[in-house]
Amino acid sequence: MSSAALSVAKEAAAETTPPSSAAERGGAPLANVSLEINGRTYPLALDPRTTLLDALREHVGLTGTKKGCDHGQCGACTVLVDGRRVLSCLTLALMADGESVTTIEGLAGPDGALHPMQQAFIDKDAFQCGYCTPGQIMSAVACVEEGHANTDAEIREYMSGNLCRCAAYPNIVAAINQAKHELKRA
Amino acid sequence: MDAPAKSGQPLPRLDARLKVTGGARYPSDVAVANPAYACLATSAVARGSIRAIRLDEARAVPGLLDILTYQNANEIKPINFFSKGGQAASSIMPLSAPKIWHDGQIVALVVAETFEAASEAAQKIAVDYDEEPPTATIGSPGATVNAVADVSEEHKDPGFGDADAAFAAAPVKIDAEYSTPTQHHNPMELFTTTCLWSDGKLVVHEPSQYVYGMKNGVAAQLGMDPGDVRVVSAYIGGAFGSKGSLTSRTAIVALAAKRLGRPVKLVSTRDQGFTIATYRAETRHNVKLGADRNGKLLAYSHEAFELTSRPDDYNVAGTTTTAVMYNYGAVATRVNVVHADRNTPGFMRSPPEVPYMYALESAMDELAYALQMDPVELRRINDTAKDPNPGNPRPYTSRSLMRCFDQAAAAFGWEKRSPAPRSMRDGDWLIGWGCATACYPTQIAPAAARVSLTPDGWARVQIAAHEIGTGAYTVIGQAAAERLGLELDRVKVELGDTALPPGPIAGGSNTTASATAAIVKACDAIREKLFRAAAGSNQGALAGKPIADLDLAGGRIVAGDVSEPLTAAFKYMGQAAIEEYVESVPHGLAADAMEKLYRGRVALAGGPKGEKLMFAFGAEFVEARVHARTGEIRVPRAVGAFAAGHIMNPRTAHSQLMGGMIWGISAALHEATEIDERSARYVNDNLADYLIPVNADIQTVDVIFVSETDREINPLGVKGLGELGNVGTNAAVANAVFHATGLRVRDLPIRLEKLLPSV
Ligand code: FES
Ligand code: FES
Repeated sequence: MSSAALSVAKEAAAETTPPSSAAERGGAPLANVSLEINGRTYPLALDPRTTLLDALREHVGLTGTKKGCDHGQCGACTVLVDGRRVLSCLTLALMADGESVTTIEGLAGPDGALHPMQQAFIDKDAFQCGYCTPGQIMSAVACVEEGHANTDAEIREYMSGNLCRCAAYPNIVAAINQAKHELKRA
Repeated sequence: MDAPAKSGQPLPRLDARLKVTGGARYPSDVAVANPAYACLATSAVARGSIRAIRLDEARAVPGLLDILTYQNANEIKPINFFSKGGQAASSIMPLSAPKIWHDGQIVALVVAETFEAASEAAQKIAVDYDEEPPTATIGSPGATVNAVADVSEEHKDPGFGDADAAFAAAPVKIDAEYSTPTQHHNPMELFTTTCLWSDGKLVVHEPSQYVYGMKNGVAAQLGMDPGDVRVVSAYIGGAFGSKGSLTSRTAIVALAAKRLGRPVKLVSTRDQGFTIATYRAETRHNVKLGADRNGKLLAYSHEAFELTSRPDDYNVAGTTTTAVMYNYGAVATRVNVVHADRNTPGFMRSPPEVPYMYALESAMDELAYALQMDPVELRRINDTAKDPNPGNPRPYTSRSLMRCFDQAAAAFGWEKRSPAPRSMRDGDWLIGWGCATACYPTQIAPAAARVSLTPDGWARVQIAAHEIGTGAYTVIGQAAAERLGLELDRVKVELGDTALPPGPIAGGSNTTASATAAIVKACDAIREKLFRAAAGSNQGALAGKPIADLDLAGGRIVAGDVSEPLTAAFKYMGQAAIEEYVESVPHGLAADAMEKLYRGRVALAGGPKGEKLMFAFGAEFVEARVHARTGEIRVPRAVGAFAAGHIMNPRTAHSQLMGGMIWGISAALHEATEIDERSARYVNDNLADYLIPVNADIQTVDVIFVSETDREINPLGVKGLGELGNVGTNAAVANAVFHATGLRVRDLPIRLEKLLPSV
């Protein structure tokens, strides 16, 4: 986490806005935050303790991003913030104020055309229950973008923050190998 | 795709697109209007009782709505433990009394306007306990032991002949103790529950492997008509047994939602999942094998101890499987349960076979070394086509074990193995190769289903079966597509909802066999109606054709070269759709099995229970590399060959078996829940400390399908394989580690500290 992000969080947390429905019901004082998610802006009034993960799931209604531990231990909640992969359960929503967030729902084209990584996960059957999959795919997109997909060993290492209890690991590596060529061409 | 979707094709999953776009709605993803958020407070001691609960600080949290404790919410009615005719995962009823049965028992449910407020308030609940010294595990002071045969109506310890005498007389023998640790399923999805009421009716969104069980169990707990409870669980984020029976949280959340008059959503924490749900209990085994000098098994005895809670006799008793595995001369077995102050264990992927086959397959490997015999040959010498008990020589319907061994051995390169321990090396790495038998009972359950077909060539299949990641949507769709002559993308499959006809529990690897039996029956009824209409009409190309000559293909009714569109048959019938509801009760179950299914009771036929033995088999080979200086263990490759009857979809089957083998590697090297002996509390109750493989732990895992046809087991000849892949793998790894190091570790998991004597 950068110190800049921290200071943004502190400033945002200071700008609390009492008159809102939850506050009227006796909830905690709320903070205003503006999240840009998948190219759309969402103005939100949140309990300042709200994680980016819970903001996405419970306040914006984007439930593709999953909660597997809430402690930064599983990777199910991985999203991209300004292109970097980030664990949304360890990120306060306020820290993402004004930054651009990409979730699994924002990966396919507006016409519904799948991102090459999504198609590769289908082609290689890189999941079973599918619960870790949004996080795996977001991480995989970043893994290629970072230049960490050169060999199988490198992919395995840089994908080891994303647990898959169904153990689709070899197929995930195969999917990334397929997609990385298409992404390079693009 | 031109050809109709035949079962047996490696088609992509029907739900694949939803799963890669975030569109699959797992139960906690389902949007409900104006939810209140719940959090649990759980016990910090393992035994005793609550002296006082102080709620003032929690109540002062802004946004707090309600707190349920035993003092104000003890109205949930008891239901029976699942093996005693009920649906409960445990007899322990957390909010019924101040008594504490185990660490992490639910002591309160907090409801608030936001998740953040509920979390804060749950942490501010202060509980005073009257503590008693708890019993942690097998062998701890205060543990009580019962023979399973004495406490279970179902279980009889298998045995025949005089195994003691045969063992005493055997020229070559192994007598060893093995143990397996506590393991938690840790599906990636947390244990969630969302409850909504309207007009006195309850809807539960909860990941479940048995929605009809949950519906009936919750209804009984809340004193309701089951018809007023609906359970929805369309996608399940991994289960592995943990979501099979009803845990106590469901009724508590339902009660909270009723009190509040508002939907309540609980997403329990990862650590709470260790104590509010079930787990694989730790086991201890004493195995004796006696053989003649040619390797023929003269005696097998096996005594086992399994941990359970104080009130429940949960056990897996895997000797019913191991006792029919080889052609023994005599068998003696005894299974015991050990009661301690723990939450009740439950099914976890291949519940009996994982611990019991680990013990047997390790002992077989030890025997092979004692005989100076190839371990594959030892299995060949003792292969059997029937139950070795001469008093009950039931045949296997099919058993392809040695074909699995031969194909896996060839793919692995087993013939290049140098048999002596520590004889293969690559620089600083000691190399070991090991193998073991995999097996899993082939079971089938009753199922009901509804299938409809419309003239435009769309089919709809409805059955409350469960998609836990196995590919249930896909293979069920394939079965209907094949039977109705449609492409798979013309079949809409609906699962996981008690508004649908009841499907089987997603347990015992029975879903494909049970669900497709019902689907095929419904499709055949539809075919019959279409064929009668087409052949019985006095017009059209098929008029007067024998019904036996008709088939469905490409959305048409065909007879050789001639065909008619589906629309024609519908027109002759004067109908806009055909809808068939069917019930399928497998051979070997009582006549009331279907009625019991509607009431949420589980019945399974097959496996080792019937007049014939029904099992799927496999053989697994692994390479272990142990670093000679550090003891670091790696498994760079594993090969498994499996014979499981007709494979409905090789793509999803491959993923299941591959995932299973990785589970087996994990069981051998990674997984164990650590228990503090003094406090009887779980220590590593999180995903950083509870070790499961990450991507970098796994390299090559090869799956080979060994062809097998078995027409006796069920209509499509399928053997369940979701729990086949992780049986025996733990032994194969342990056997490979012995081959690498010369050190026999008989207590799983094998971590590097246990190998220090060898480095
Ligand atoms: S939910 Fe964020 S890492 Fe697990
Ligand atoms: S697909 Fe189930 S956890 Fe990865």
